[in-house]
Amino acid sequence: MTAQLPLRAGPPAGTPGSAAAVIETAALTKRYPAGVTALDGLTVTVGPGITGLVGSNGAGKSTFIKILLGLLPVTSGQAAVLGHDCASDGEQIRMLTGYMPEHDCLPPDVTATEFVTHLGRMSGLPPTAAKERAAESLRHVGLYEERYRQIGTYSTGMKQRVKLAQALVGDPRLMLLDEPTIGLDPAGRSSMLDLISRIGAEFGISIVVSSHLLGEIEQICDHLVAIDGGRLLRSDSMTSFTQVSQVLLIEVDEGIGVLQAELAERGLRPQRSDRALLVQIETDATYDAVRDAIADLGLPLNRLEQRRRHVEELFHDNEEEARRDR
Amino acid sequence: MTADTGTAGAGHGGVIHDIGYRRYEGPRLGRAAIVRALCWHSLRSAFGIGRGAKAKIVPVITFVIMCLPAVANAVSVAQGSPRAVPYDTYIFQLRVIVMIIFIAALAPELVSRDLRSHVLPLYFSRPLRRLDYPLAKLAAFILACLAMIEIPLLFLYLGTITQAHGGSAIWHETRALIPGLLVGLMWAVLLAAIGLVLSSLSGRRAYSTGTIAIYFFLTWILAGILDSVSTGRGPITGGVGAANTGARLSGLVSPFTVLDGVRQWLGGTSRGPLPPPGNYGPLYGAMLLLLLAAALTGLAVRYRKAGVA
Repeated sequence: MTAQLPLRAGPPAGTPGSAAAVIETAALTKRYPAGVTALDGLTVTVGPGITGLVGSNGAGKSTFIKILLGLLPVTSGQAAVLGHDCASDGEQIRMLTGYMPEHDCLPPDVTATEFVTHLGRMSGLPPTAAKERAAESLRHVGLYEERYRQIGTYSTGMKQRVKLAQALVGDPRLMLLDEPTIGLDPAGRSSMLDLISRIGAEFGISIVVSSHLLGEIEQICDHLVAIDGGRLLRSDSMTSFTQVSQVLLIEVDEGIGVLQAELAERGLRPQRSDRALLVQIETDATYDAVRDAIADLGLPLNRLEQRRRHVEELFHDNEEEARRDR
Repeated sequence: MTADTGTAGAGHGGVIHDIGYRRYEGPRLGRAAIVRALCWHSLRSAFGIGRGAKAKIVPVITFVIMCLPAVANAVSVAQGSPRAVPYDTYIFQLRVIVMIIFIAALAPELVSRDLRSHVLPLYFSRPLRRLDYPLAKLAAFILACLAMIEIPLLFLYLGTITQAHGGSAIWHETRALIPGLLVGLMWAVLLAAIGLVLSSLSGRRAYSTGTIAIYFFLTWILAGILDSVSTGRGPITGGVGAANTGARLSGLVSPFTVLDGVRQWLGGTSRGPLPPPGNYGPLYGAMLLLLLAAALTGLAVRYRKAGVA
C-alpha cells in the first residue's frame, strides 16, 4: 500500500488570480467553545515569497497557523493553502507544508540526524531519501558538523536550527514558522533571520513567519500581514509598510506643546510619546518642516532620531484612521 | 531561479562552493506507509535498537528470563522427560512478573518521551491524522509484547519437538502450541493497551513506570487476597480449597487473572493461579472486552485532546 502521491512541481497552475496565492482565506472565523473569538472574519491573500504575520500575543497568529495546517476546524469562512481546502484536504496541505512550532519540541536524547531523519520519514519520504534530505537540511541550517551530537547538548540557537531543519526536510512548498526568533540573543536572531531569508529567496520556498515584533522580521519580509484581536489590520507589501513605519522622534528640553502646535500647522501629525514627539516621515520635506519649525521657535533641540515604529503604534495609527474614516 | 533546477551547478564547469538547494523529486509515500514507518520506529525503540546500550538492558534481561523455562525444558526433554511447561499458561507467575517489568519500563519509552519533549506537534503537522499516532504506537507495543510472550513459547516448542519421534508426535505438540499462541496474543493486546494508556497520562517517565507497576502489581495481589479470603486457602500459589463464588469472581480484579479466567473459560486445561471461573466464564470474557475498550477509549481521548502547539 505504498500510495505515491503525485507532487505538483510548482504552485498550482489553475485559474488565474488564485493561481499565485499561497494562502487564501475568506471571512475566516474561529470561536472556541469557551466563547473566546480567536479569529474574526479574517480575509487575506498571501502570495509567494516571505510574508510576515505580525500581531501582539493573543492576536490569533497561532490559531491561524493551526487552521492553515488543517488541524483546527473553523467556525465559519474558508481557508485554502496551495490551492487545497484547509477543512477537507489537511493531509495534502501538511504534505506540502513545513511547520516550525513556537515552543520547544525536541527530545534531548537523540542526535539531530536521527531526529530529522525520522521526521523526514513522517513527512512521507522513503528511508534513503529521508537520510539524504536530513543531512542536507541540517547542512542548510548550518549544523553539518554537529549533527551527530545529541540535541540535549545544543545551545538554544542550535535547537532553533534543528526545528527549522525538520520543517525543511520534506522539501515543502510552504513553511509556517511560528516565532522562530523567540529566546535567541541578538546575534542568534540575526543569523536565524538570514537563514529564513535565504530559504525564502534562494530555495524558492514560500514562507510565513509570525512574530510579535515587527521590527524584527520586517527586514526579511516581502509582504506583511498584521492582525489584532483576530481581525486583519493590514495586508500590504513591505515597501508600503516601511513608509508607514518610518517615524522621526523629536525631543526638546522645553516648549514641546508649542512645537506640537507648530508642526500641526505645517501639515504634519505630531504625536506625544512621553517627553518627545513622533512625526511620521512622508517625504524628505518632513525633515525640512521639522527643522524649520524648531529653528523658527528657537527651541533647544535635544534629540532628533529616525526610527522604526513598533507594531503597537502601527495598530494605534490604524485605529485612528478607521475612526477618521467614519 | 537556479534553486528550482535539480542539478544546480552541474555541468557548468565552475567551482562549486555551495551546491545550493536541491528539490526533492522522488516519490512521497502516503499515510499508510507513514504509519507503518512510525510503528517500525517505535518497535525498534521498545527494544532499545538505535538507542544507547542502557536502553537495551531491560528488554534483553526480561527476554532472557522469559526464555529460561523453555531452555530448562529443552534440557530436561533431551534427557528423556516429557515436556514440563504447558503452552497455555507457560510459567504463569514468571510471565506476570516479567511482563510487568517489561511494560512498566518500556511503555513510557514509547509514549512518555514524546509527551515530555512536546514532539507531538511535529507529528500532527505532518500528513498523519490525529489517531494514527496512538494507533501506530499501540501496534508497535503489541508486537513488542507479542515477541516477549510468543518467542519463548516457540523455543519451548522447538526444544520439545527435537526429541519427538514421528509425525503424529509433532502434530500433537503443534496442536498443543496453537492455543498457547492465541492466549499469548490475548495477553499482548490487552497488556499493551493498558500499559500505553497508563503511560500516556504523564510525560514523566518515572511516574508512568510507577503507575503501571503499581496498577498491575496491586490488582494482581488483590486478586490473590480476595481468593484466599473467600476460600480460606493460602495465597495465589497455595493449597487446595473449595472454590466458592467469591473465589471464582476474585480474578476479575486483575488483568492477568482476567486473561487466565478467559483462557480457562475457553477450554484451557492447565491449572491456573486461581480456581476456574466455572459458570462465571462469560463474565471474564466481558471483563476482558471492557478493560480493552476502556484502554483504547482512553488512548483515543488522550490523543484527540493533545494540541498541535
